[in-house]
Amino acid sequence: MKRVINHSKDWKLTKNIKTGLSVPEDYFTGIEDELFSRLIVEKLPKHDGFKTPEAYFESLENVIIEKTKNKNGKLINFKRRNIKLISVAASIVLLLFFGSNFIYNTNTELSSEEIISWLDMNANSLSNDEIAFALTELNVNDINPYLTIKNEDIIESLLDSNDVDYLIEE
Amino acid sequence: MDIQKVEKRLKKPEVLNLFEGSKSKIKKLVLIDEIALVEELQNIQTKEKAFRILIKKYKERLYWHIRRIVISHDDADDVLQNTFIKVFKGIDNFKQDSKLYSWMYRIATNESITFINKRARERNIDITEMKQKLVSNLQSDKWFSGNDIELILQEAVATLPEKQQLVFNMKYFDHMKYQEISEILGTTVGGLKASYFHAVKKIENYIKKNQN
Repeated sequence: MKRVINHSKDWKLTKNIKTGLSVPEDYFTGIEDELFSRLIVEKLPKHDGFKTPEAYFESLENVIIEKTKNKNGKLINFKRRNIKLISVAASIVLLLFFGSNFIYNTNTELSSEEIISWLDMNANSLSNDEIAFALTELNVNDINPYLTIKNEDIIESLLDSNDVDYLIEE
Repeated sequence: MDIQKVEKRLKKPEVLNLFEGSKSKIKKLVLIDEIALVEELQNIQTKEKAFRILIKKYKERLYWHIRRIVISHDDADDVLQNTFIKVFKGIDNFKQDSKLYSWMYRIATNESITFINKRARERNIDITEMKQKLVSNLQSDKWFSGNDIELILQEAVATLPEKQQLVFNMKYFDHMKYQEISEILGTTVGGLKASYFHAVKKIENYIKKNQN
């Protein structure tokens, strides 16, 4: 009994004994919460249930390295790129059509800012970055104003889009 | 590895700060390794080779961190690639005033949250609603093989505020130390412990209500 008393915290304090032991800062902050958390999480499942396609991680280095080598170094998701390029191409065709009427009627030249602003207002599913990216990929002078996009291409692009489930739900 | 450069970098005060709390030899060696890797990443001649090593080292950890935020595999794949491309573009400006992995985790976290926010904005809903919507699609997701209780756990996590979701996932699934989470999220260890406790309590209540 005497030995227990001798090693109590109070005894050490009265004798001003330094143990040399220390704890990290914040160690005692919320230690009760932490203990309760541990008791609760013991009952929770240990896995999240997510999985990946087989060998997904194996080719990742090559895929990413390849993408850093493209001109803009920005990720291009081929499926999404298709639909975005079609959207931008369609926007540009409309712009050329309405824009030329506008220029003809008012004799006012459209500035690049106005074109970007128009695209921004009308192509609301695209961010400025995406539009800028798509425009750098296209040579505007090469765009045929009589460009026709086949219905099958549009349907295929829409089906390829990751948002197709959402569109069906809507 | 340019030993002289690494030694020079090791003497810088901001790097010495990184050793705080890393008293073990192994942790120091890991840090030295990391400093050398950053040197190689910042050298145009060795950048690609070092970047390949970096991807190999962190791809899985970052993928799972991102996946738990964005839920779907395809989206996680996009966000992961964007994260690495941002790392590649930004590595020259990385000053080593934080650990490399903390910096990368921060980029991955920001990219994931920006991604979810963008999706939420497109649908005119808030981020929590968006997460719940994504989780509700899990049952038909071919890249989810969880059982009922794992699905309920994901539903429960999706109901938490963003910060609590992050803390819970990083602590519970990624087994990260509070100190590491603190370096990434910029929150005190005490604050993180409180967030984790609240998250766990809410998850427990959600599971009690919904498990039948």
